Amino acid sequence: MEKLLEVKDLQVSFQTYGGEVQAVRGVSFHLNKGETLAIVGESGSGKSVTSQTIMRLIPTPPGKIKSGQIIFNGEDLAKKTDKEMEAIRGKDIGMIFQDPMTSLNPTMKVGHQIMEVLVKHLKMDKAAAKERAIELLRLVGIPMPEKRVNQYPHEFSGGMRQRAMIAVALASNPKLLIADEPTTALDVTIQAQILELMKDLQKKMGTSIIFITHDLGVVANVADRVAVMYAGKIVEMGTVDEIFYDPRHPYTWGLLASMPSLDSDDKSELAAIPGTPPDLTNPPKGDAFAPRNPYAMKIDFELEPPMFKISDTHYAATWLLHPDAPKVEPPEAVKKRLRQLSSNYPQPVIVKESE
Amino acid sequence: MAEKQKLIEIKNLKQYFPVGHGQVIKAVDGVTFDIYKGETLGLVGESGCGKSTTGRTIIGLYQATSGEVLFNGVSVHAKKTSQELKQLKRKMQMIFQDPYASLNPRMTVADIIAEGIDIHGLAKTQEERMKRVYELLETVGLNREHANRYPHEFSGGQRQRIGIARALAVEPEFIIADEPISALDVSIQAQVVNLMKKLQREKGLTYLFIAHDLSMVKYISDRIGVMYFGKMVELAEAEELYRNPIHPYTKALLSAIPLPDPETERVRRRTVYDPSQHNYKEGEPLEFREITPGHFVLCSEEEYKKYKAIYS
Ligand SMILES: Nc1ncnc2c1ncn2[C@@H]1O[C@H](COP(=O)(O)OP(=O)(O)OP(=O)(O)O)[C@@H](O)[C@H]1O
Ligand SMILES: Nc1ncnc2c1ncn2[C@@H]1O[C@H](COP(=O)(O)OP(=O)(O)OP(=O)(O)O)[C@@H](O)[C@H]1O
Ligand SMILES: [Mg+2]
Ligand SMILES: [Mg+2]
Repeated sequence: MEKLLEVKDLQVSFQTYGGEVQAVRGVSFHLNKGETLAIVGESGSGKSVTSQTIMRLIPTPPGKIKSGQIIFNGEDLAKKTDKEMEAIRGKDIGMIFQDPMTSLNPTMKVGHQIMEVLVKHLKMDKAAAKERAIELLRLVGIPMPEKRVNQYPHEFSGGMRQRAMIAVALASNPKLLIADEPTTALDVTIQAQILELMKDLQKKMGTSIIFITHDLGVVANVADRVAVMYAGKIVEMGTVDEIFYDPRHPYTWGLLASMPSLDSDDKSELAAIPGTPPDLTNPPKGDAFAPRNPYAMKIDFELEPPMFKISDTHYAATWLLHPDAPKVEPPEAVKKRLRQLSSNYPQPVIVKESE
Repeated sequence: MAEKQKLIEIKNLKQYFPVGHGQVIKAVDGVTFDIYKGETLGLVGESGCGKSTTGRTIIGLYQATSGEVLFNGVSVHAKKTSQELKQLKRKMQMIFQDPYASLNPRMTVADIIAEGIDIHGLAKTQEERMKRVYELLETVGLNREHANRYPHEFSGGQRQRIGIARALAVEPEFIIADEPISALDVSIQAQVVNLMKKLQREKGLTYLFIAHDLSMVKYISDRIGVMYFGKMVELAEAEELYRNPIHPYTKALLSAIPLPDPETERVRRRTVYDPSQHNYKEGEPLEFREITPGHFVLCSEEEYKKYKAIYS
């Protein structure tokens, strides 16, 4: 498979009044052509910062890429000038932001914002661009697009703004689409429609997608692979089946166990992960998840766990995978999901740093 | 169950927005429902169907185009003295959908949270004020170190929790939570929902809970209302709505819920709602009618008879 994007040991920090916030602490992953990678994880774990860094959209200062490479189409985006990035953004890489209000221009008609992309990157003339803008609004499920195209963002509902932004991002048929919680503000019917639209586009154009969401139902629907982030790191990564049917990291267990089940009438308390995420100005020693991890061992508070490989495609950073670790039982809700996956190695193996 | 006491009564509420050339968007187009004291009423529906506008109009952020909202029997939109208005505002709080737009970027987290405490004089001393702020931060899963930071230094989910802390600060009776958890990861969602339920038990809070995540809505709500294009099309107890959806839009909505199971998702088939499928005659009157006890559906006389025959 051909790699479109490879992120290697990315570290991003913010200089703040309270000190250096280490938002992304050594993230590595790759994305193949035509593939969808879902990123899930704790709020504040660095999902948005990671994706914004790929687009080179983090404000510098206070932000800074401390190290790492972002190889896109064979070139390192981390080394590009702002001007060079300008040509890539919105054309080769489209982005749907988490907060539509700050990325749509409030003083500019929605239609114009879509047309701008079409005129700039696809060199369309105005009339053609307007027609295409209406078509795109229709595609993302906006009713009466001929009228809506002339409205301003504040005249749209939350979900409609989100869809308008999706239309902007799709306008240039990008090679890579980064979607940061693109459907969070949408009802499930429109969400399903948008997901189908994105999959359709992917099939036709071979688009690669990074899909950030905390809705595990959506992940199950769209993802080929899943990366789970916690405190600025990827703590588990695997194919969608590996993450849902054979999760290994206790944080992933916590995520899967904390959802209410639709077909049970159980109203007892949800299994939330207790405690608060760590302060990234002072990342804790050892495993950052340890203080909230009911399975934490002594070593978790002292030494950071290495990455273990469970199969060719499945990685997890937890001491529980060490041969000397005691056997533990995942939570009940997770146990129900577990399956024997034939692709697994006989024993998890430690990934050497140099790999 | 004891006789349920109505905290909020919404009567034929309409909220229209002019969009130029004499045209209007009927964001809320005649909805009638009650919210009982101590309950959670979930509100779901298509994006743009008027959920936020309903919430904003109930709380008095918009003057209603027509209709009435009563809070404890008192009209929200009728003229009031500034003292009355202040009291009413304190009793009804809103947690907003957009955590970015709703927090003042130039205020510290402590000042954002304490704004209501200051306005309503709920803390006697500076010490008491900060103690309250720290408590609230902890309640929503943040910590005291966050108090002196500014909103832009927080992630989306963290900002939403600041909004929740701000709403809780004035100890309201009624909270409209407009997608309070959409921006949160599931483990924090569970924390916030557990927290909201706990606060409800302890303080008898009443919630109008607007959200898209239907499994969470089902979990938190006693009753659920489904809106479509400015109208309430179905209202029933949570279990009942999921077990026996009647309106075709509700059926479509339920069929589209993505489940955290890749295999189910690979073979997902959803029903699509087409408003023309009702085949209503021109001008045929539609009413919100009770099909089975407590289960209301917007339907024509003909549909009513059909639904009655099938479901009761
Ligand atoms: N401009 C900034 N200044 C200081 N800190 C920042 C800035 N932007 C982000 N951060 C910090 O970086 C960390 C990662 O934030 P990020 O927005 O990537 O989280 P996230 O995983 O996308 O969370 P969410 O699910 O809530 O959106 C957080 O601790 C956040 O407070
Ligand atoms: N201030 C306004 N001016 C003009 N139109 C508005 C205004 N506020 C809302 N609308 C329109 O009213 C309708 C309902 O919007 P509302 O925000 O209530 O929807 P919603 O159900 O909350 O949707 P979402 O789930 O997307 O948040 C939409 O068509 C919207 O464009
Ligand atoms: Mg984010
Ligand atoms: Mg809304």
